[in-house]
Amino acid sequence: MIKEHIAHRRTVLKAGAALAATGIFGLRSGPSLAQAVPGVTDSEVLIGALGQLTGPFAFIGAPGRDNMQMAVEKLNDAGGINGRKLRLLFEHASTPAESVAAAKKLVENDKVFVLVIASGSTGAAAAADYVRSAQIPTYNTVGATPIIREPFSRNVFHGTIPPASVTGQAMIDIGFQAVPSASKIGVLAGTYAFPQSHLAEIKSRLEKRGGVEVVIEQFDAAASDFTAQLVSFARRRVQLVLILGSFTEAGFAIKQAPEKGLTDVHYVLDGSAVNNAIISIIGAENTKNVWGYFNAPYFPTQDDPPIASYRRELVQKYGTLPQGRPNIYDLIGYGSTYILAQVLKKTGRDLTWPRLIEAWETLHDAKPSDMGGYDVIFPETVTATDHQGNKKVASARIINGSWKVVGLAS
Amino acid sequence: MSSGRLRAVMGAIAPSAVLLAIAILGLLFDTYWQYVFAISITAAVIGSALAMLVGYARCITIATGAMLAVGAYGATIPIVHGSMPFLAAVAAATILGACAGWVLAVPGVRFRSHNLAMITLVFQAVVIIVLRESKTLTGGAEGMHVPPPVILGISFEKDADFLLLSAALYALAVVPMTVLLAGAFGKNLRALASNENAARAFGIDVRNHLIAAFTFSSALIAFAGAVSAPRFRIIDPDSYGIFTSIFTLAYPIIGGMGSIWGGLAGGGILRLIPELLRPLADYIELIFCVLVVATLTFFPDGLASAFWRGTTRRHRVKPGASFTARAIELAPMAELFAATQALGAAAPGRRGGDPILAVERASKSYGALRAVDDVSLTVQPCSLHGLMGPNGAGKTTLFNIVSGFVAADSGNVRMSGTLLDRIPLEARIGLGMTRTFQHAAVFERLSCLDNVIIGLGRNGIAQGIVRSVGQAFANADSRSERRAAQAALAAVGLGVRKDELAGALPLGDQRRLEIARAIVSRPRIILLDEPVSGVSVEEARRLRELLLAINGQLGIAMVVIEHNIGFLSSLCQRISVMSQGRILAEDDAASIIADPRVRHVYFGEQEAAA
Amino acid sequence: MIVVGGLKFGAIYSLAALGIVVIYKATRIVNFAHGAFVLAGAYATYGIVEGLNIGYWPAYVLVPIAAGLLAAAVEFGILRPIRQADMFALITSTIFIGIGLSEVYRLVQNTEMLGVRNPLPGPPIFIGDVIITKEQIWVLVGAIISALIGVAIFGYAPIGRGLRAMAANARGAALCGYSNDGMNAMAWFLGGALAGLAGIFAAPSKGISPELAISMITAGFVAAVIGGIDSLRGALFGGLILGVAETFAAAYVSSAMKNAVSFLLLFVVLLWRSEGLFPEAKIRDV
Repeated sequence: MIKEHIAHRRTVLKAGAALAATGIFGLRSGPSLAQAVPGVTDSEVLIGALGQLTGPFAFIGAPGRDNMQMAVEKLNDAGGINGRKLRLLFEHASTPAESVAAAKKLVENDKVFVLVIASGSTGAAAAADYVRSAQIPTYNTVGATPIIREPFSRNVFHGTIPPASVTGQAMIDIGFQAVPSASKIGVLAGTYAFPQSHLAEIKSRLEKRGGVEVVIEQFDAAASDFTAQLVSFARRRVQLVLILGSFTEAGFAIKQAPEKGLTDVHYVLDGSAVNNAIISIIGAENTKNVWGYFNAPYFPTQDDPPIASYRRELVQKYGTLPQGRPNIYDLIGYGSTYILAQVLKKTGRDLTWPRLIEAWETLHDAKPSDMGGYDVIFPETVTATDHQGNKKVASARIINGSWKVVGLAS
Repeated sequence: MSSGRLRAVMGAIAPSAVLLAIAILGLLFDTYWQYVFAISITAAVIGSALAMLVGYARCITIATGAMLAVGAYGATIPIVHGSMPFLAAVAAATILGACAGWVLAVPGVRFRSHNLAMITLVFQAVVIIVLRESKTLTGGAEGMHVPPPVILGISFEKDADFLLLSAALYALAVVPMTVLLAGAFGKNLRALASNENAARAFGIDVRNHLIAAFTFSSALIAFAGAVSAPRFRIIDPDSYGIFTSIFTLAYPIIGGMGSIWGGLAGGGILRLIPELLRPLADYIELIFCVLVVATLTFFPDGLASAFWRGTTRRHRVKPGASFTARAIELAPMAELFAATQALGAAAPGRRGGDPILAVERASKSYGALRAVDDVSLTVQPCSLHGLMGPNGAGKTTLFNIVSGFVAADSGNVRMSGTLLDRIPLEARIGLGMTRTFQHAAVFERLSCLDNVIIGLGRNGIAQGIVRSVGQAFANADSRSERRAAQAALAAVGLGVRKDELAGALPLGDQRRLEIARAIVSRPRIILLDEPVSGVSVEEARRLRELLLAINGQLGIAMVVIEHNIGFLSSLCQRISVMSQGRILAEDDAASIIADPRVRHVYFGEQEAAA
Repeated sequence: MIVVGGLKFGAIYSLAALGIVVIYKATRIVNFAHGAFVLAGAYATYGIVEGLNIGYWPAYVLVPIAAGLLAAAVEFGILRPIRQADMFALITSTIFIGIGLSEVYRLVQNTEMLGVRNPLPGPPIFIGDVIITKEQIWVLVGAIISALIGVAIFGYAPIGRGLRAMAANARGAALCGYSNDGMNAMAWFLGGALAGLAGIFAAPSKGISPELAISMITAGFVAAVIGGIDSLRGALFGGLILGVAETFAAAYVSSAMKNAVSFLLLFVVLLWRSEGLFPEAKIRDV
């Protein structure tokens, strides 16, 4: 008797909780009759974005959100786009499950007009898979892994960060800039998604180039001890080491290298390690031969006018930033929003998905300054068959205790 | 179908019905919410599996993520690399999950608490490492693309379709879990988590039960992993890492540790929270941790249980009511007799014949301490034999040797001629030996009725499963069990309290409960360890009457340890006195009291100078 | 050379393991939140060395105290109310407290990974074929000395005596005048302080991020269990053994094996001698 009583009550509770929750949140987002095109009203354009706000890759998503928000506000202050203000909805997403959920919420529930993927890992790949079926115009600003780009889909555009094939080649080119006569090259790669795609590219390109001996060593994510790998490089007397990993991983590897017998070597780091926080890890005395590629024309701490002004604005809005920021993702978040604004402007007042895509495909040398922003990222050019906005890669070195962009990789 | 049977069957399918109801409800909402509901019911199913392992068996497992991964990859790899049909792949993944749970449990259940947690952590870490390294098979860290499920040519791509499909599959899979948890198997798990020694004394093999719990639990978790994988489009090892394991641990803890509903509700609702509280995405993990710690502190049985307890009307018994004033009734004895006949109990013992218990020169030392030193004891069938002695004399050790908790260093124990040394502790109830414990070892979280049902001793794994299924249909066997247990409770005067939790009883009633539990299987002999210590004189008198009645009506022999000489002498025909591990004297009650050696040991009397 | 590197990490693990064992011996609680205390020490180190920029020496004094206070606060505020509950509740609470604390640090710092400078920068020393950096020597020596001080306090100081008395028989100790509550807090303080020290030594080499908490708790545990969770000496040796084994595995097998090795070691030790390699005298409940 009591059991039945209890079972009944439990049923009611569970169903009730589910009902209440979804009642509050689900029903309010029913179809709004005024909108024929999702995310577009007379006064507003809704931009959705997803990225990692917590977890190990929060240094990608959080700057994305902060900067997209700042850019949106600046654009709105300047009058908006074709008489409409922009509104940003940024959702946290890291794992595939979360990413699909976030994408679905933004697209099906909040009905955004365009989606920005400001996340780079497997989550982004899952979201990309989803948007290909949902057909919403999508801006992939930071994802370099091939899974996000293949198969080609007309509604997916790529921004600042070029595919791994381009940045991989850039690393090789920078390496030969640093050590023109390098004959033995070591490659230290993390076992997680992003470095692995780089590794594949670099390996095949070096093989094709010929004339070099390549030593490949790998490490687990967040590894902090590189004894084995460094010893192996030292034994083979490599002259150049390409490191595919985050700034902490690269930092510890470089720091430990001398004590493992690896001295007088040049290092080329991938973009995610080109960060001033690495300098406190490796120690200012070890920074002589450290190079890297960078996906923007200036390093965030340089004093050149566009970047310095941008930095002033960022600090004005957000106060002092934690160690290592602004980083490349700050620049990308900011710049990409201006590029997106330009695309929206080009489309005109009549905003629909097909028109947006068409306008996007005519983008030529688009810069943030075209819309009143600072040129902290490379200009973007898109065609109907090539949706990769930026293909330029800069080379950078640590000079006087800070990174500086010194030229283009090739 | 009788109303009892109908109720039982409804109880078995209620969780499934709720899952289906939620899925159908989801059809009213948009595709985003349909997706969220699908995720939510997946979490509910995971919660129900963890209810068995974490809630009932109280094992800390940090391997849930790995089990989900086993299921997800275990289904996706055959589908992608081997073109296996979806349902077959899910079945294969479930079997793989069961094997994984078994592999983890066999070495793991040697340990409890933190060491067990470490072993599960090892398992979790190793699985993830293996998945990450096997790039060709699993895609490594970059993950693997999962195609939508295809059954009989129909592709389940749309959210609504998938929601219904997964709800249907989950509804089916949850039924066995519900039956097991509500039935004897679940009760046995809770018993062993409550009091391992008592559980073993009544035939519950702890190790095997825990292995079974891990196996069933892991199978269901793997099933959930396999069914939910297509929804995520991409599966990667990091989605199933240690944080997943830890956060799923929260499902039964917050939802409720005592029933499958707790696991279901915990999983379903907790998994909704990140979706409902999206503006607080930064703080979600912290909120969770605070919630869990707060629940453990203030609501140790889970939030759901706290809610039920507050609202369910329980049969309130005023504490201290002279309940125990109920006289011993003989009618229940006959009822007990009849009920246990239906279960196939043996005929009552008869006087004469081989001694029911014969201890021959048993010895047991702990280091330099000789706890039991060359002790011999004989107990005649249907007789009442007392065992006396100062603290530390070795009485409880002797009991432990006889009941199988401790192996003697030398010497023999025989029961009706059968040598006991090869027979494990859990099997002794099958021979007709039960016992009570010095500190009332009732199963506190179970009702009195359930305590006594366990006393029937039909507690092997296979038996437990069969009985659970039977209980889901309220079959004749399960009804006979309840009758027998009710009779035993009535016989000791606890009939009215049959649905109360044993832990809520006062000490005197707990001792009675122990006796009820010890007699319900109609054993040949009961070992009673200090049955009246800590109870009032009046209660002691009633217990004495009870024991005499049990002995007289059911022909059960008893060996009773007590300090209360008056009690022993008025109860037992023969009394043995132990001191410092040896038998000092053995005789009938009057002679023992007069024995000068006994008096010396107890009262320090010296023999008066002649 | 590999051995030295292994010993350096091993010394850090020993410190972490020691803290766990101290808390276990005194209060019988296996503290799964220990990694979070180490992380607190690491974050505090960053704050003092990089934030306030006052160098390492103040850190070595202030950080253990801060970490110790944090641990005692956790014991006092959260665990004391549930001390009567069963092991399951206690252990699970510590698991979630640990994660909760890591989340708090992350939110406060607003960043995922911090780097802190080398306490002893400078060129490495060459001893024959072997290259050792000053930092390695410092960490090795410093961690071992700290560990020995911890063992000494627990074993010989009056406070230690009180802790051991309480561990052996709480009621008896209370009757002898030791305050149960005070002793509990003391034990957690000591354990936390050791964790904080581990954090200072670990910060330059391992980086400061929530991952540090997880890796330190696993390593600390494995080390503690290998050595025997009831034994301080065991924790010391267990940590060193683990550090060397891990580094060797990484060097000669693969870096993926590094993690697997610690678990394999744990598994083997648990199955072979579950009391650990240095069991203390056992009391049996009959």
